[in-house]
Order: sequence, then structure tokens, then C-alpha cells
Amino acid sequence: MSIMEYNGGSVIAMVGKECVAIASDLRLGNQSLGISSHFQKIFPMSDRIYLGLPGLATDVTTLKEQFRLRLNMYTIKEEREIEPETFAHLVSSTLYERRFGPYFIEPVMAGLQKTPSGAYKPFIAATDLIGCLNFAKDFVVAGTASTKLFGVAEGLWEPDLEPEDLFETCAQTLLNAVDRDAYSGWGAEVYVVTKDKVIKRTLKGRMD
Amino acid sequence: MPDGSFSHPQQRQFNPYTENGGTILAIAGADFTVIAGDTRQSEGYSIQTRYAPKVFRLTDRAVLAVNGFAADGNMFVKKVKQRLEWYRHAHAKDMPLRAIARLIQTMLYAQRFFPYYVYNILGGIEEDGSGAVYSFDPVGSYEREACRAAGAASSLVQPFLDNQIYFKNQTAAPGTSHPTHLPLPDVLSIVIDSFTSATERHIEVGDGLEMYIVLAKGRSAQSLEGMRGLQELSTRPDGDRVFVIRKELKKD
Amino acid sequence: MFPLTRADSFAQRNDDAFDAYGTYPLHQRAPHKDVFAEGVQHTQQPIVTGTSVLAIQYKDGIMMTADTLASYGSLARFKDVSRLHPVGTSTIVGASGDLSDFQYLQSRLDQLVTDEFTHADAHDLGPAEVHEFLSRVLYGRRSKMDPLWNSVLVGGFRDGKRFLGYVDLLGTTYSAPSIATGYGAYIAIPILREAVDGRQDKLSESDAKAILHDCMRVLFYRDARSIDKYQLATVTADGVHVSDAQPLDTSWGFAEGIRGYGAQTQ
Repeated sequence: MSIMEYNGGSVIAMVGKECVAIASDLRLGNQSLGISSHFQKIFPMSDRIYLGLPGLATDVTTLKEQFRLRLNMYTIKEEREIEPETFAHLVSSTLYERRFGPYFIEPVMAGLQKTPSGAYKPFIAATDLIGCLNFAKDFVVAGTASTKLFGVAEGLWEPDLEPEDLFETCAQTLLNAVDRDAYSGWGAEVYVVTKDKVIKRTLKGRMD
Repeated sequence: MPDGSFSHPQQRQFNPYTENGGTILAIAGADFTVIAGDTRQSEGYSIQTRYAPKVFRLTDRAVLAVNGFAADGNMFVKKVKQRLEWYRHAHAKDMPLRAIARLIQTMLYAQRFFPYYVYNILGGIEEDGSGAVYSFDPVGSYEREACRAAGAASSLVQPFLDNQIYFKNQTAAPGTSHPTHLPLPDVLSIVIDSFTSATERHIEVGDGLEMYIVLAKGRSAQSLEGMRGLQELSTRPDGDRVFVIRKELKKD
Repeated sequence: MFPLTRADSFAQRNDDAFDAYGTYPLHQRAPHKDVFAEGVQHTQQPIVTGTSVLAIQYKDGIMMTADTLASYGSLARFKDVSRLHPVGTSTIVGASGDLSDFQYLQSRLDQLVTDEFTHADAHDLGPAEVHEFLSRVLYGRRSKMDPLWNSVLVGGFRDGKRFLGYVDLLGTTYSAPSIATGYGAYIAIPILREAVDGRQDKLSESDAKAILHDCMRVLFYRDARSIDKYQLATVTADGVHVSDAQPLDTSWGFAEGIRGYGAQTQ
């Protein structure tokens, strides 16, 4: 039994044109037994940063609170909101602190980064469970359906998608990937982050 | 030794199997079938060769793709071809596709306790002229389907096919419905996209792509004409016809 | 054991319980018991071994090389053993792995060639046939869980066509413009693919010789089970030719002054 497959769950993030999307399934399981179809794995870290935490459910809760603490400390000390790239390094170092007794989480993050000109640049990143960062230009995936997500995303994704098209691409990728994964599924939610709004949609999925 | 490491004489067991990578895929249309496979053969992190076919023409209406342990695969194809030749000598005609499928199941199950470590996908034209795909597990469980991916990158490709062939998780526009079968050019595009995607994300997939196309008797081959790397393999022009298209995939 | 006497066999035939004609279906007959079955040791391990074999295609045919060392574990046991074996008039077979298993294969191949010759039917065996034969023998033995512990290269030139194939203890086969077994697959293949693949029709004999010589030298530097003496075989329209064992030119001057390489005392 792998601890990474104990509760199941998957997350994906994609880059679009001046927008990003991040999506996850809603299943919480106890190995092959489904427990809940309302288990959120994506959390807002700021107005423009969202963090997905697939992996061991108990660590999802712990890390969510851990990041809330560290983010508050950062905001108080710096007197400004954190930028996505900085946040990615915060995630990385938080996980690497536990290098030899890790949290069983593979975080995925998506956000909009402020450029010197004042515009916003899409940003996505993911790490492994000990904080090795992966800054991708297209999409990042994690969780029990990661191989499936890679396959579908590689086939569906294209550069410079508008928010609505990015939503569709991200949702289709997730839905079709988790339908082939026994440990993921049971509904999904998708966040699309644009410069002036965040669209959250909860999706129905196969319940088998 | 106090740790008991010598209490049981240790014996290294010979492992008669290995995995040689690669991926295969087949999609059935209304009156055609496409059966494809990459041509890389590997063991561990080494590429043994960039061209080792995994897809084989059996008859003018049947094509078999074999993936897994290459030695078992080649031996299995050899034996299937031999049985088909015997059938030809006995009955003066080619074995029908559904009969080949059942033959493959019995041949695989005959080795139930020392299996051929291979996933088979059989594609071709049924006697009623419809395109058909049969997929098998190593010990002979099989079913007829409209599409199937197998091998190293099957987990990458199959959900993509669910979406693009079966239109899973897609709702048709009001008053319309999804087609049950796609036209040949669409299917070829999906096959090529599947393999370029698998090549991008899986180290055991790449080098070359071989797409076999079986057309039902009487169906026009017009949509294939002028395609690069096309070759006809049929023995007669007035029955079911077999074509192959060879393409390059990334070699890294 | 004594041979069965006539009396014994008659006695058997008169025994009502003995089904001399095998009239029962297979699954109802008493199981045949092999009293030695428990004593048969199949799965073995290689004992006296040869290291890498390299082979490439070139303009006029194929070229194959192997060093002349037969190791016993880490001991360089026999230093002048040929691992390249000509078969018929257009084929060369080179083997790495267990050398006693290879000698068995050599005798099988020689027997095969003799049998083919005695038919006197104007047919003889080319490299493709030899490769097919070897792959059947090796796959057959792996299927009996009693493998012949070798990786074998088969090269040849016949009817104006080159042939270069591989087969190993599992029965795995393939062909390619350049092939190497053992450590060669890791160390020589990157060099060979760069130098050979896609240029098979252009490489001259001296080019091919130089490429293989380079690879053998690199292998000698890095493969601890190798020796600086090797043979070269060529198969062209003119037939098979296996060279005498020749020395590798090596230079160790750079090692002077590097601690751990040269002959320092401290």
C-alpha cells in the first residue's frame, strides 16, 4: 500500500492567455472505499494565488493551515501580498524542512504574477512531496491520476487559450483523466483566475 | 553467521520475462479500422532499436498489434500466422475476423500457467463489412470495442481516446447527437496526436509510427491518396484492403 | 541400472494392470514420474564469461569485433579465446555471456551447416536463417526455464544485402545498423549511433575499422572485464574473414600524477 494512494485525489493547473486555471476532483477515499464527494483540495492563498494539495488527506488539512500561518507571517513582516513565484519557494522550503519525514502531498499552484509594468503574468508550478520545484510553461499535474492527466493534457492543451476555452480544456482534461482512475473522481471543481475576477465552477462527474 | 543469512541457501531465480516498452492503439470506424504502434524497442533505459515492428498484417482484413515482452510477442504472431495458413489450406479462404479473435483467445489461454506476456489488439473488417477492434489481456480475456490503447503509455492515451472517440464528458449541442463513428481523416489525426503526446511524456515511446489502415470492400481509398509514407499491402484490389503509413516520431 | 531384459518386458505385457497401448485419455493415465526430476538443476548462472561484442553495418557489409578474454568472475582466466565464430560462407556469430553455452551453440551451428551441406540441394544458410535458428534455440531454452546465458550478435552479407541481428538468453531479438552487447550497450552504442546510423551506405572498410577500434579502446579503458586484445570480423560479398587477435593501442600517460591512476607509492 502506497501512502500517496491512501486517500486518492488529483489536481491539474494550466496556463492560458492572461489567465490560469487550476482544477481538482472532490473524492476522499479510504483506499478503494469512497468516503466523501465534497473533499476540497484547492485553497485560495491570496486573491490571485490558488494552491492544490493532492495526497494524504490529513496532511492536506495540516499544510493548508501551515501555509495560512506562514502567509500571514509573510504579509505582516513584508506589509504586502506575496507574489506567486515567492509563494512557490515558500511551499518548496516548507516541504523540504521535512526532507526525511515528509508530508505526503504533491502541491500544485496557479496564480497571476504582477510584472513591473503593472500587468499580470500567468504563473503555475508544482513540487514533489519534498519540495522539488517544477515551473512549467504549459501545465502541471499531480495525484493518483497524474499519468492520465499528462496524456490528456498533452493532447488537448494549446497556447494562449482565452479564459472560457481554458476552463473547458482544463475541465475536460480532469474529468476524462479521473474517469480512468479508481482513486480520483466523484465530482470536480475548477478555478479560472483572470486579472479582474476568479471563476469557480463545481462540476458533476461520474459517481462510479 | 549469527544473522542467519546463510541458514537458507540463496538461489537466484531466472526471470523468463522482460518488458520492451512501446505502445499500440486501434480505432474502428464504420467501414474501416486503424491499427497503430510505435517502432521503438527498449529494455530498461536502453533503446535496443529504433525500428522493431509491433503491428502485423495477418490477412487482407485483419491486422494484429502486439505489445509487452517482444520475444513472446514475435513468437505469438508467428504461431497465429501459422494457424491462419493452416486454416487457408483447409478451407481455401481467409479466416474471418471474429474467428481470429476467438483463435487468439484460445491460444493465449492455452498458456494460462506460463503466459505470453503480451497485450494484443486485433483490428480489421468483420464479415458484415464493419470496422472492428478486439482487445485481449495476456491470458485471453477479450472483447470487441470501438477503440483501445495498450502498452507502456496506455494510461496516457486511453482517457484521451475516451474523450475524442467516445465523446466522454461532452454533451452534444441541443437537438444534435455525437457520431457513433468518426471519418477516417479524423481518426488518423487522433492517432497521430495520441502518439506525439505519448512520445512527449513517455520515455519508452518514440522513434517511428506505423499506422495500418484496413478498408472494407468497396470503400473508396480516396481520403488516403497522396498521404506521405503510404503503402498498400493488400493481395487483391477488389476485396478488403490493407494500407500502412509510416511516420517519424521524436527520437529523444 | 541394468538394461531391461526380454523377460522384464514380457512380464510387463502380461500384467493386466499395465496399459501397454495407452488406451486411456492423457488426463486419466497415471502421472509419469521422473525420479531424477528433483535432482535436475536448471537455472544456473554464467561461469566463464566473455564481455561486450560490437557490430556495425558499413558500405560493403558488416563488421564485428570482440576481445579475446574469457573471465572467471573477476579473474582474467583465459586470455586468447575467440568469441567470433563464422557460420557457412556469409555469416559471423559473436557471443558474450557464458562461454560454455556459446561453445554448445557453436557445435549446434556447425552441425546445422554440415546437415545442410549433406543435403546437396544447392541451398545454404544465410545470416537471416542462422539468426532465426539461434533465436528459436534460445527462446526454446528460456521457455524450459533452462536458458543459454548469452547475448549473441549475428552479422552477414548475402544476395547483396546486409544483415545484423541480436538475440539473447530470453529470446529477445532485434536488428539495427549498430548493435552492442553487455557494457558495449552503454559505452559503445552512443559512439556507434553517432558514427554509423544513417551513414551505413557511405562508411568505408577503413572508416568502420577505425570506429570499432575506437570503441574497443574506450571499452578497455572502462570495462574491468575486458582485455587489450581483440579480433575483427568482416562479412562482405567476398565472404567471411576473421582477423588474428591484435593488440589495442592505449595511452596511460595522463595517469602520471593523478593519484589513484598511476604507479604512485603514496
